[in-house]
Amino acid sequence: MSPELITTLATAPLLAGGVGAAWLLRRAWSDRTARRPLWIVAGWVAVAAVSVAPAFILGGARGPFIAWTLISVAALVVVVQGVQVRVARQRGEKSLAPEPSDRVSKAWRGWLRGLLAGPLGMIAAMGVAIAFAAFCPGAAQTRLVIGGLMVPVLWGGAMAWTLADDKILRATAVLVGVSVVTFTAAMLRGFS
Amino acid sequence: MTADVPSQATKKPGKPIWPKIPAGFVRSVLAGHSALGLAFAALIYLVCFSGSVAVFAREFQRWERPELPAITAVTPAAIQTAMEQAVRRIGDSVEHVYITPPTPDLPRLVVMTDAHGKHETFAADASGRLTDTGEPVWTEFMTRLHINLHLPQTWGMFIVGLTGVALLSSLISGVLAHPRVFKDAFHLRWGGSKRLQEADLHNRLGVWALPFHVIVSLTGALLGLTTIIVGVLAMAMFQGDTSKAYALFLPPIVDDPRPASSLPNLVAALDATQRLSPGSTPSFIGLEHPLELGQAVVVNAALPNRLVAADSFYFDGKGQLLDASQTTETNLGEKILGSLGPLHFGWFGGIVVKLAYGLLGLALTSVTASGVAIWLARRRDKGRPAPRWERIWIATVWSQPLAFAASALAAILSGATVEAIPLIVWGIVTLASLLATLAADPARLSRAMRLASGGLILLTVLVHIVRHGAAYADPAAWWMNGALAIVAAALALSVWRSRPRSAAAA
Repeated sequence: MSPELITTLATAPLLAGGVGAAWLLRRAWSDRTARRPLWIVAGWVAVAAVSVAPAFILGGARGPFIAWTLISVAALVVVVQGVQVRVARQRGEKSLAPEPSDRVSKAWRGWLRGLLAGPLGMIAAMGVAIAFAAFCPGAAQTRLVIGGLMVPVLWGGAMAWTLADDKILRATAVLVGVSVVTFTAAMLRGFS
Repeated sequence: MTADVPSQATKKPGKPIWPKIPAGFVRSVLAGHSALGLAFAALIYLVCFSGSVAVFAREFQRWERPELPAITAVTPAAIQTAMEQAVRRIGDSVEHVYITPPTPDLPRLVVMTDAHGKHETFAADASGRLTDTGEPVWTEFMTRLHINLHLPQTWGMFIVGLTGVALLSSLISGVLAHPRVFKDAFHLRWGGSKRLQEADLHNRLGVWALPFHVIVSLTGALLGLTTIIVGVLAMAMFQGDTSKAYALFLPPIVDDPRPASSLPNLVAALDATQRLSPGSTPSFIGLEHPLELGQAVVVNAALPNRLVAADSFYFDGKGQLLDASQTTETNLGEKILGSLGPLHFGWFGGIVVKLAYGLLGLALTSVTASGVAIWLARRRDKGRPAPRWERIWIATVWSQPLAFAASALAAILSGATVEAIPLIVWGIVTLASLLATLAADPARLSRAMRLASGGLILLTVLVHIVRHGAAYADPAAWWMNGALAIVAAALALSVWRSRPRSAAAA
């Protein structure tokens, strides 16, 4: 049997397992009795099993990634299966969702926020990543690639933080400080 | 379908699993999430939509050139013949040659030459004889739109990378601003309040497909930002010399511009690859300066059940091994680097994973669309509607299926001879869709554009069949036509289901 055919055949039980795991979690969600923790444990154990099992057949790294992709699809199938169709209303229903905060809107704050979330956040993220590559032990390629992966995560985190934090000058000070310290330290240390 | 929602009578207050997040913090994060989402909405939407289609790039490549027969395997001698014929056709200006041997998802032998930045693509038969020239122009248009938005390479990739960072940031703030993640885990309330419907769609698609969303945004951001990251790294650590950073991942190739007496020996290189990596199949062959004495050959060899793209072997022109990078011996960094592409495009688990990537990609596209719809519905609920933005957003969302379908139809009608046609048609249709917001209300605009998209997709299928006389050498064309017809039917069905109540009653 070709590896392609084995992979295709393996996706059917993985999808079924994903649907089963999501169904157990849905059962936990709808069950408000004392059995609820059991359903939760069963659901997450099923997710873990479906994630780990394909590693033995489809490859140690490849198998779990195939499983996670299919578990997401399976969970969405379970969500769609439980859709509640309602009658359209002119007036909005009362929402339990939180509302965004109403902030002081001044032009300089908007521009500063944009600078923090954009260029300054990027520089700070790159500073941390380059300092990581300079100071951490291990193979040069590993340090560089992990450092590279850190850049979008840290920049994204900085974006989320600076756009949320009302104390905008604090965010400015932290990002500038981090950039100066990390770049200086990395340049003094050098790459070896 | 209705959910078996727990009745209030059986509910007992229990300890919440999720830690209590202060309301003020959630409101602040939500404000940032909203601002970032709105600022990048159109770009994120375009990148996600084009990415969902680009998952099937190889299938579209086969669909666009169905007259080329599917080849399951070729000999090293056939690859040598194809390379020699391609170099002979281009002449002395050839700098690089890129050969793609047949793989299960792209059973073609394709040779691309690069002569001072001018690219030519040839297809070859199983014996290596060149049979055809010309690129699948629509596939090229669609993948380039996703990779660099058809902007100059460095800037385009940076903007797409920045969009990936904005998406990743939205995922982080979205999770932090979602205190009801478990309480609403399976709620999907459809048809009642517009805001609740969009919020349920946004949150369910966002949360349950979170691993996929994080993987594609992280890998996409890194792929897009590589040039700038390496540039800054080189400035800080290598006195501005970026080649020192790249040299850590590439073998040293000695440049010798003196003319070579013969073209590189690919048979020897491919035979050596089989000895060095038993059980592998060559997935890519690249030739550096094939007409110079410093000629070099890189062979990527794919092994089954590996996430990493392939083992890489570097040879000189005579087929002598210069360097090897095998997945069994590489370090973690090289393994991660080799898996970024397959993980981003979903090219690691066959057709089922590709289909899942396509669906999850569309889910991420819907998350973007519904995010803006929530903001618009919230404004309407608060008595501050923004009708012009409602029309513009609807047109932005539905312009893309329409523009993609129109560009594919134009490419098929024009016989795929002019590379710029799909881009021009895409641009005109996108612009016309946005101008249509001056004349129609959002609901009518949405229905009209969905119906037009479905019609154009169906027309593309019919024109494709007629143009090729229903005689496809590659059966994949039939599968793709079937899939496109299903998409067209789904769009038509969505229009029928969302028709006004008076029409439904009649």
